[in-house]
Amino acid sequence: MSRILAIAWKDLRSTMRNAPALAMMLVAPLALAALLGFAFGGGQSFSISATKVAVTNADTGASVAAGTAENAGGVIVGVLKSPDLKDVITVSDKSSAAEARKSVDDGKTAAAVIIPAGLSRAIFGSGSTAPATAVELYENPTQQIGGAITESIVGQALLGFNGARAAALAAAGLATANGDGARAGKLAQEAAAKYMQGGGAAAGVSVTQRAPRLPGRQSTKDVGVTGTILAGMMIFFMFFGANNVARTIIDEDRAGTLPRLFTTPTPRQTILGGKFSSVFVTVLVQAVILLVAGRFIFGIDWGRLDAVAALTLVAAAVASGLALLVISLVRTPAQAGAIGAGVYLVLALLGGNFTGSAAAGGTYANVQKLTPNGWLLQGWDAVMRGGGLGDIGLNLLVPLGFAVVFFAVAVLRFRKRYA
Amino acid sequence: MLWVTAAGPSVYKETSAPTYGEGRLVSIVEVQGLRKQYDPPKGVLAVDGVSFDIAQGEIFSLLGPNGAGKSTTISMLSCLLHPSGGDALVDGHSVVTDAQAVKEAIGVVPQDIALYPDMSARENLLFWGKMYGLAGEALKTRVDEVLELITLVDRQKDRVEKFSGGMKRRVNIGVALLHKPKVLYLDEPTVGIDPQSRRSILDGILALRDQGMTILYTTHYMAEAQELSDRIGIVDHGKMIAVGTNGELVKIVGEEAHVELSVDHSLEGMVERWAEVRGVTTAMIDEDRAVLLVQDANEVLPRLFETAAAAGSRITEVNVTEPNLEMVFLHLTGRALRE
Amino acid sequence: MKRVWILASKDLLETRRDRLALLFTVIMPLAFTAFFGLMFGGGSDRLPLAVFNADSGAPAAQLVSALAKSGVVKTETMTMADAEKAVDDNKVAAALEVPAGFSAALAAGRPAALTLVSTAGSSGAQTVQTEVTALAGELAAGERAAQAAVAVAGTPPGGAPGATPQDLRDAALLMARPLAGQSLAHPVATVKIVEAGMAAGQIPSGFVLSSPGMLVNFILFSLLTAGIALIQERRNYTLMRLMTTRVRRWELIAGKAVGMFALTFVQQIILMGAGQLLFGVDYLRDPAALLLMMVALSLFASTLGLLLAAVLTSEQAMVATTVLVSMSVAALSGAWFPLEITGPAFQAVGHLLPTAWILDGLRGIIVRGFGVADVLPAFGVALAWSAALFALAVWRFRLTD
Repeated sequence: MSRILAIAWKDLRSTMRNAPALAMMLVAPLALAALLGFAFGGGQSFSISATKVAVTNADTGASVAAGTAENAGGVIVGVLKSPDLKDVITVSDKSSAAEARKSVDDGKTAAAVIIPAGLSRAIFGSGSTAPATAVELYENPTQQIGGAITESIVGQALLGFNGARAAALAAAGLATANGDGARAGKLAQEAAAKYMQGGGAAAGVSVTQRAPRLPGRQSTKDVGVTGTILAGMMIFFMFFGANNVARTIIDEDRAGTLPRLFTTPTPRQTILGGKFSSVFVTVLVQAVILLVAGRFIFGIDWGRLDAVAALTLVAAAVASGLALLVISLVRTPAQAGAIGAGVYLVLALLGGNFTGSAAAGGTYANVQKLTPNGWLLQGWDAVMRGGGLGDIGLNLLVPLGFAVVFFAVAVLRFRKRYA
Repeated sequence: MLWVTAAGPSVYKETSAPTYGEGRLVSIVEVQGLRKQYDPPKGVLAVDGVSFDIAQGEIFSLLGPNGAGKSTTISMLSCLLHPSGGDALVDGHSVVTDAQAVKEAIGVVPQDIALYPDMSARENLLFWGKMYGLAGEALKTRVDEVLELITLVDRQKDRVEKFSGGMKRRVNIGVALLHKPKVLYLDEPTVGIDPQSRRSILDGILALRDQGMTILYTTHYMAEAQELSDRIGIVDHGKMIAVGTNGELVKIVGEEAHVELSVDHSLEGMVERWAEVRGVTTAMIDEDRAVLLVQDANEVLPRLFETAAAAGSRITEVNVTEPNLEMVFLHLTGRALRE
Repeated sequence: MKRVWILASKDLLETRRDRLALLFTVIMPLAFTAFFGLMFGGGSDRLPLAVFNADSGAPAAQLVSALAKSGVVKTETMTMADAEKAVDDNKVAAALEVPAGFSAALAAGRPAALTLVSTAGSSGAQTVQTEVTALAGELAAGERAAQAAVAVAGTPPGGAPGATPQDLRDAALLMARPLAGQSLAHPVATVKIVEAGMAAGQIPSGFVLSSPGMLVNFILFSLLTAGIALIQERRNYTLMRLMTTRVRRWELIAGKAVGMFALTFVQQIILMGAGQLLFGVDYLRDPAALLLMMVALSLFASTLGLLLAAVLTSEQAMVATTVLVSMSVAALSGAWFPLEITGPAFQAVGHLLPTAWILDGLRGIIVRGFGVADVLPAFGVALAWSAALFALAVWRFRLTD
């Protein structure tokens, strides 16, 4: 046992003296987490910059209400420019539809709101024979979010008008049914006005968002973006950290120190066991350092200690098992570096190490489950939101199963090679 | 300058070894028909039935050209490779069935520097000491002793990667001495070293022998084998073709002298004729000259000149060497030791 | 100059023979693209939404059925406790609680509240919220229109004896609602969405937008194999040996660069070909512009790889640096997520890199019909960067360890 530890300690010390390895294991994940944290506003949630929108109002209709200078188009412009939305969209006026579209084509705005000339006429036209018109949203297809936001705002504004019109029609119909058909037109207008006074389209139904409440849990915390990112980066770079140490098996074989170890009275199983332990111990230390750094540099609250410890141990087992498997299958150090990198990249892309919490239930969330790191990351997410050991049972068992298989195959192959 | 200090004597002689009878040396290594075939059944037969004994306290050299099977033999004796056939007893333990005990008794110095470059000399020795089963205070004391033995006490904290080639070799040897083995294997320890370092390594090996160590030494340098060894085993193509002291081996070629001649033309023709000359035992071509073994140089040389003159060739250069191991090899195999 | 080609061909030949490099530079990205294309290429997913309806009124039922028919969410009814857990377990994007009294509040003209349970930071939750708000808004609009009509037009005269004002009002509402609903079902003012550069009615699928990003990511990563080969050559002293021939130093380096360029270019062809033929990513929409972008990307990647191999000495350092650099560059350039969701500072920094421009260019070609003139600035930026990187590489290139 002490000889196994001697080998593990020697390799750990060697890693501590190896600058590129340390850069990869510690600097890279922290730097990337910082970079991506900076990407997303450095804060607790994904905050995006305001979408730039161009608007042009060709509406020739009369003003909506007495005392205001705005026609229907003007009202829409007013909604877009309202101070409530100033963090969400930035509006610029254009004098023609062509100019508005050009601003999108030139990449200056994400979307253009083009209000047609006949908007007011359509909305306030009497009877149900009024021609339908459309407000055109000319969008940059590569800016889906900006487009969606603009659609939502304009849609709500139009809903207000359509609703007023519905009120008017309903009032007219009611009046006729009540035998009051002579006043139908006037009542219609009053109904429309009353609808609009009711506070516009947004009033009526409010949707509030809250975090899930679970029995036995005090509060569910909001997971900071940086925490999710660092967890993903940590696991990804643990793969590389493990690879570096596992690689020394091949390196030492070539350099002669491994065969020399085999000439000592220390049995082969002990020597290989020592190398296996080296890999595990090194990535475990790496993980602990990163977790502590995350806590003190980025202020990440990882969650309950027992759950975090369990996840960390399983992650270390997965990383070391995987690396030993890769090394047991390759022959040269160059292959170890290149094949390893490729395998880890694929696993990371599939497992969601780079993309944070995947949209729930979607295909991607299921794809994540094909990888051990995907399960681990979902577990980490749960724990950061306040979950405990009981919530992450599968997230621990499945990756552990993967790790056991990796180790088993590695042991078989190494036994064959160094019989 | 000797790098192995005289601080050693008590170190080795304290091991108690059985001695049978008076003055009769006991064999501490007995090699019995070792064979190794890579990838049977059609693979290369690297070692083909090698047998020899090494007496306790002697330096035994395995001499042979590259590819003769020396390293393979040592690997089998270190329990790194499983023999395909035969066995060897080291300190009474079989390498096939009792590898553990064999490893306790041997110290292996591989041909390449097998050390951890990013660790200091001391760190290396401490680590390898642990691998050899030493621990605690005993380990530390022993490491200090070995550092003194290889005279690297004042550089012990420096990283091995910063050492000169000669210093690295010393640490390489030091590692093998940590557990006080009974037999030391050295696999081509002087390849690629400058003459000065080589000299000091050879002196160090002699000093170790004087302190009671048994040494198995492989090399393809004849001069080293001649200088160091008590006994020599000549190997070629996996077979042991001769074993004995330097004197015994040289007697194989008897009084035969080694004569090298260059001619101005038709070398092949001349060599054929010379082979027929009385007193010439072997004649062959080595690159651009004729190499002959002759029984009495003084008598045979004039006949060689006559033959050349009769054939119309002129001898441009003559070189005569007294019998040595190179000639032994040539005689036994028809090839030169250096290929 | 001829020597440069000879050197480059030797490198390419070695790469072609190296099965490992083949795996990495060609097969893996292809397999990956195929996998993701199959997963995400077929239109967008509906986000799962758990629904708990505690209200017995008609409007609430209407809302739930409108959501069930939505193309954005896929509803599943369950108890509130199950719903909370489902959100926490990430099985649904969000859970909607329709409280008892919802319909009553709407009918009385009071504000009605809905609660959406989700985990903060989940992008799916945002989309769900938008959809729920929209549908609920339509529902509310209909109700409010009916109420306004009744308030103004009054109740029908007569009615059943003993009917309370409330009964009368309810009767009127019963009549008004379908009228309002009918009007809303055929609105006069609608939104017409036109995606610039795309055929009418088309929306770019998620895969189409992410395919170029994945491509850039792989190209950057493949610098790894090329760089490692170079480092090994240096270690084998074959590099040094080449210098004892009549090959000049710049020819040697240029040969390496050309080899890397060709390698990344072939990779691009394969990846783009697969995207075009198998997954409908229309790279070939403007071949000339595409060619410019491909050249730009290969130039940048090869000079970057060259610089890294020039200054780094060990394979470990190469792996570490390549991973870090390629990941940072990919993230900053918008290969992993659209830059529009990042802050302005990040976007500014990202656009210092040529890959951000190239990605904009590629996406523009595919969905917006960009032409040569549109991608020329990106080409220029890449060219400038590549020249600078090449110069640095030549200056710092080490022939021996």
